[in-house]
Amino acid sequence: MGQVLFVVWRESVEALLVIGILFTWIVGRPDSRRWLPWLWGGVALGLAGAVALGLVILFAGEVLSESAQTLFQTGLMLLACALIVQMVVWMRRHGRTLKREMHTALESEVGRSHGWGVLLLAAIAVVREGSETVVFLYGIGQHLVLFEFVLATVAGLALAGLTFVLLQLGGKYVSWRWFFRVTEVLLLLLGAAMLMSAVDNLLSLEILPAVVDPLWDSSAFINDGTAAGGLIASFTGYRAYPALTSLLIYLAYWALVIVLMRLPRAERKPVQA
Amino acid sequence: MRAATAALGLAAVLLSGMAHADDLHTVSLEMNDGKFVPVRLEVPAGVKFKIVVRNVGKTAAEFESLPLRKEKVLAPGAESFVVVHPLRPGEYGFFDDFHQEAQGVVVAK
Repeated sequence: MGQVLFVVWRESVEALLVIGILFTWIVGRPDSRRWLPWLWGGVALGLAGAVALGLVILFAGEVLSESAQTLFQTGLMLLACALIVQMVVWMRRHGRTLKREMHTALESEVGRSHGWGVLLLAAIAVVREGSETVVFLYGIGQHLVLFEFVLATVAGLALAGLTFVLLQLGGKYVSWRWFFRVTEVLLLLLGAAMLMSAVDNLLSLEILPAVVDPLWDSSAFINDGTAAGGLIASFTGYRAYPALTSLLIYLAYWALVIVLMRLPRAERKPVQA
Repeated sequence: MRAATAALGLAAVLLSGMAHADDLHTVSLEMNDGKFVPVRLEVPAGVKFKIVVRNVGKTAAEFESLPLRKEKVLAPGAESFVVVHPLRPGEYGFFDDFHQEAQGVVVAK
């Protein structure tokens, strides 16, 4: 049962981080609470999608070719990465001016499209590993006594709650500014990791050329072919055997992020009465 | 017009990938509730190859390897395959994400 708990936690920790950080950002500022329903809507959509996708893998795995499945996953990851960058940049630019915008005509438009971004990001974060968790739990569920199964699920939910509480506490004991910076970096790292996974798939499908493969072998440092190394890699985008293309895209990602974060804040045009 | 060309190009990539899958050097791997059989797969270096993965256990398994750039979830009893890019000589690890004690290695010579 401990193993079940560990696998469920590990598969969901990425989604928990994304949703937890978004949640903390949203409730941290009274003006942003209106996006909370979007966040929960995204989680619900993600859960539904995870169950649907999990069932497809379990019972209709042969219907979708491997290439189609891989492309679909790749699309999700690229979208999530883009949403993460957009979300972080948006928070940087609008975080402080939020209150002022409430009184301009921009409010509803900005609010709604941002809401969709929050919803979509939350949904993708849940679907990604959620579908795997569904398949895993289905296999386990057939062999565990129902009571143990329910217990494991409840414990899983408790872990989710714990992650949230920890993030909330973090927000209370350190300055909001510092907490915001750290969670920004965490989200951006996750975005980088998703981008690297997407690039791996594109290299695998030969849609992208590797050019030099591998550029180096750093498995002596961190071997991402092991479970522990793989975990580190899934949060940072680290690769022990990177292709040249992967490295270039990784560097371009961070360069783009830095540029976007440094752009001057959008000008607010006063509304003519 | 451009979208159509892009779609055709993508289709060509996907179809060509599928067409070649049959002539590839193939090795087999069994996943059994946290045990790999065999633990060590030997493949020729420098050529694309295929690993046919079978889950003969009673619980779901996930073949995962970042060095090989492959990840595959397999329900109990399911069989599938992954096509791996040409490898330089060396050892490349893989594991079962749902049974972390299971650790294997692909040796390219």
